Amino acid sequence: MDATAPVAEVKNEELDDTVDFKNDLIPMFTKLGCNAGKCHGSAIGRGDFKLSLYGGLPETDYDEIVRRLGGRRVNLTDPESSLIFMKPAEFVEHGGGEIIDDGENAQLLLTWIRQGAKYIEQRQLKHVQVTPNRFIANQIGELTPLKVLAHYQDGSTRDVTSLTQFDADDPSAVTVDSKSATAKVLRTGRHIVIARYSTEVIPIEMVVPISEKMIDHSTEPRNNFVDKEVLAAISELRIPVSPLVDDQAFMRRITLDLTGTLPEYRQEREMRELNREALVDDLLASQAFVDFYTLKFAKLFRIHSKIDKNRVNTTPQAARAFHDWLANQLRNEVGYDQVVREIITATGDSSVYGPATFFTTVEDARQQTEFATEVFMGSRMKCANCHNHPLDKWTQDDFHGLTAMFSKLTRSQVIRINPFGKNIHPNTGEAALMKIPGGDFLPKDMKDGRTVFSDWLTDRDNPYFAKATVNRLWRSLMGRGLVEPLDDFRSTNPATHPELLNQLANDFINHGYDIRHTLKVIALSSTYARSANPIEGNESDNRFYSHRVPSPVEPEVLADAISDVLGVAGNYGQETPGTRAIELKDGSIGSDALDILGRCNRTKSCEGTPSPIGPLAQKLHLFNGELLNSRIGADGGRLDQLIKSQKTPMEIVDEFYQTALYRRPNDQEVKFLSQLFSDKKTPVQQRAALEDFVWSIVTCKEFVTNH
Amino acid sequence: MNTSIRCDGVTRRNFVRVGGLTALGLGMGNFLQLQRAAAANPISSLSKGGKAKACILIWLDGGASHLDTFDPKPGTPSEVRGPFDSIGTSLPGIRISEHLPQTAKLMDQLALIRSVTSPFGVHNFAAQYLMTGYKPTPALDYPAMASVVAHLRGQNGVLPANIAIPNLISRDTATLGNGFLPSSTKHFSLGSDPGKRSYKVRDLDFYQGLDLSRLDRRRKIVNAMNEYGNLKSHHESPSDPDLERAYNVIASEEAKAAFNLEEEPSKVREYYTIDPRANVHDSNNIGQQCLLARRLVERGVPFVTVNNTGWDNHLDLATYANRNPGDPRSASHALIPGLDKALAALIGDLTDRGMLDETLVLVMTDFGRTPKINSTGGRDHWPNCFSVAMIGAGVHGGQVIGASDALGEFVKDRPVTPGDLSSTIYTLLGIDPNQELRTPDGRPIRIAPQESKVIEELLG
Repeated sequence: MDATAPVAEVKNEELDDTVDFKNDLIPMFTKLGCNAGKCHGSAIGRGDFKLSLYGGLPETDYDEIVRRLGGRRVNLTDPESSLIFMKPAEFVEHGGGEIIDDGENAQLLLTWIRQGAKYIEQRQLKHVQVTPNRFIANQIGELTPLKVLAHYQDGSTRDVTSLTQFDADDPSAVTVDSKSATAKVLRTGRHIVIARYSTEVIPIEMVVPISEKMIDHSTEPRNNFVDKEVLAAISELRIPVSPLVDDQAFMRRITLDLTGTLPEYRQEREMRELNREALVDDLLASQAFVDFYTLKFAKLFRIHSKIDKNRVNTTPQAARAFHDWLANQLRNEVGYDQVVREIITATGDSSVYGPATFFTTVEDARQQTEFATEVFMGSRMKCANCHNHPLDKWTQDDFHGLTAMFSKLTRSQVIRINPFGKNIHPNTGEAALMKIPGGDFLPKDMKDGRTVFSDWLTDRDNPYFAKATVNRLWRSLMGRGLVEPLDDFRSTNPATHPELLNQLANDFINHGYDIRHTLKVIALSSTYARSANPIEGNESDNRFYSHRVPSPVEPEVLADAISDVLGVAGNYGQETPGTRAIELKDGSIGSDALDILGRCNRTKSCEGTPSPIGPLAQKLHLFNGELLNSRIGADGGRLDQLIKSQKTPMEIVDEFYQTALYRRPNDQEVKFLSQLFSDKKTPVQQRAALEDFVWSIVTCKEFVTNH
Repeated sequence: MNTSIRCDGVTRRNFVRVGGLTALGLGMGNFLQLQRAAAANPISSLSKGGKAKACILIWLDGGASHLDTFDPKPGTPSEVRGPFDSIGTSLPGIRISEHLPQTAKLMDQLALIRSVTSPFGVHNFAAQYLMTGYKPTPALDYPAMASVVAHLRGQNGVLPANIAIPNLISRDTATLGNGFLPSSTKHFSLGSDPGKRSYKVRDLDFYQGLDLSRLDRRRKIVNAMNEYGNLKSHHESPSDPDLERAYNVIASEEAKAAFNLEEEPSKVREYYTIDPRANVHDSNNIGQQCLLARRLVERGVPFVTVNNTGWDNHLDLATYANRNPGDPRSASHALIPGLDKALAALIGDLTDRGMLDETLVLVMTDFGRTPKINSTGGRDHWPNCFSVAMIGAGVHGGQVIGASDALGEFVKDRPVTPGDLSSTIYTLLGIDPNQELRTPDGRPIRIAPQESKVIEELLG
């Protein structure tokens, strides 16, 4: 069991027998499912009885229960004939069936009515504590009792376990018996159960080691805090780790990860002197790094020119301006906090001043809120458009308050302040007040709230911004975010390594929001340098970093790598011949090659969207399409030049291995390929066989993944 | 291909080993690993129903309004009733939209479920729930029914077992796919619309200068490189199953011909044409799409999805029946009349060919739409109650199952979940919904969710 700090048992008493509407009754409705989205919590209620989703608005619920329907729902003189009791007890027909019986729940409800059905909130909830909120079970099937304690503002506490609802993220991994509040883990690994009491949601983490025997990781190198945290989790789960890679493999991996480009082959003699730190520094200082990370941010900000049905257009000039502006920020090593402040507060002509394009990328102010919170906070606030977020703290006031800020902008090529712009709050029917998410309302007469928002966001104590950013940087090197999906940060979707995420964020802040610094920390950890080849016992791990999970090379990078290996540039729309795919400034520039390779068109979030092209269609194209066939043997291409320079087939093979895979062919490969060429006597036969070899090297797994 | 190895490249023995590691609770996200496992128990016994060899899913993408198609509410105020009238059908007492006249004649064969209910009002979750039968969860990516069928049935010959016409990438449905099953079970999108003049499935014909022996050599070299190279994996076979499948399709004239609608007599093509006044290529494409679906099913493809887009009508319901209101010529291009004619043609053709008894035809959608019309004359998302239609494969037709309430807001009678639908569909296809699949880390997952129930009234 986890050594959670002992609970201070202050005044753990019921105040008296008074039923507290907000702290007793509403949580009971939640636990019974009355105010869930599929019942009375639906946007229009159900059977003409509407409750707020999961009890988010208790005062409204009180009105609905006590005052509406001419007061028939509550009968003070004869509590048992109140509709609010007769329905769920199914004394009268109830669409939801009989959901309360004679037990505790019925008594609670009846007592409340007998006491006058008053809106009583005896205490104000401060927070809820679940014990344990994290535990390690020794074996499958072990039972763990859960206890939920509510802490109130007045310092009192109360056991609310029986009023708490428990939901496992994966019901086949954990079951929770709702009567006894006992959790039972059915599978090894790490699992999450969500406890919901009143408006609070708390994740409970449950771990069952995957192996019975301890594994000693004490001799594994710990280069920095990254390794310390990663090895701690691996040890707890008892997963063996793969060895570290040699310099050759490291070279290809880090160069692809930081510059999106294949490394130029260095002879083994030079490799012996490889200083990994110096290499990482060189790469981070290169123009290729700027190009590649500009692409990554251009995808994050969905830079694409468009003409849209609401006439919120992005001109090709504006798309380019934004791209170039981002590249400049990266080149000049501007802190990411500063970059984001400028984007959020941008005004002016987007075709000249790039960051203004941020406000023409989506269609309206509400979408702007979703977009901004996704990009800067890693949060999905969309739900809070129509109701308070059921799994997070976001309220409709948060959503519409931020939207109110963005409503004060003209969404055209020139971004200006429009003092009359407003956002109608769906609950009040009036203009929503500007508000900081989870924080204060802004003064009504403030013309532009964005500066306040951006200052709040980039404050060192902001809980979202730095974490969301380092999580993306972690994913770009490690192939997986500590929080996945990248834009779904919430307490109920905890990081695989929460402490590591904290430390990365703090380190990022302490180093001036310097992207290069954080990338370097990750790149120099031994965690980053683990082999991609699994060993016995860690094959199934894809989130604890016991081995590198090979990740598909991004479409733009793969397109460039193919061009580099074949020695023939790709063509992209009207771009100057020789333009590299990672340099394309506008997601709307047409390219069949990139579409086949599965690029994101940037009209929606590019994160986590799988390639729309299925594997079969992709392979058909590799066989019969233009992408490779038009270039493999082209005049002046690499193969053509090597053949013309009178090299032998095996010399040509060697060169392609170095360029494409950053290594020499091994014995088995040499044997197989020599055999292939041995019976090809005529130049025509030999050339055809070489073309087939080159086709194979740019389609093999080792080439199309980073590993 | 070596038949002792499963199409996903895993032998039974390997699978046992994967199972032995079990359950890291780690989930798998990686495409290489996805190719790695997931063996299912063999089909033990055919449950009752179970006549269908194939399934054609007509997917009304975006959420079709139940009130304006299969569940009209005549006599309600106009903001609920909407712009269309209703008509009687061959099933006494049952009325459907006036724009579904041919479907109305088929009502005595069709089973209509008017009480489907789901909690998801956004496209991606809603579509996933309908297509997989499982509520979406971050813990596991469930496979679409089409992928499960492809996985269990396998390929019949070289044609892919799961085909989407023209594609399945629109809107938020990009995530719909093979889930934890091997990527080979993901739908093959034609990427080209059989209703268009330019229709041609991409990359089936040899690139200039190449022939089959060259492609064969290429796949052999790449397999060798995967085997001898530095990237080792314990479970993957060096040959890439998707590459093998692509090769096999290219190598087969018969497979290529399956996609060729020109081989159909013009009489048949016209039969599926939505608007005879328009050029065959210019009318609503759903007709030709259904014809291709029939052609593929006839050649042994077990699951074909016809993805009919454009149903997400928030703005103006009149465009459901007439693309450019006021212009009579555009009426026959619109969604509801197109669905009506295509569905009738498909059923008629399948009947004539004696295929209807072993082909299950489904009409499904993301969700229904708000019973009350919004301020722009459209309807918004409404998952609480909507309709699904089924015919063929021994489905007990001529009945309406369940009912919505007076305004079409909620289920009045016999709620049916997408899980129940999936259970029923699997049963009709002869797949036991209680059977288990395995995830790559060895977890057993039931084909349909535990709590789902087969809709017994539908089984003949």
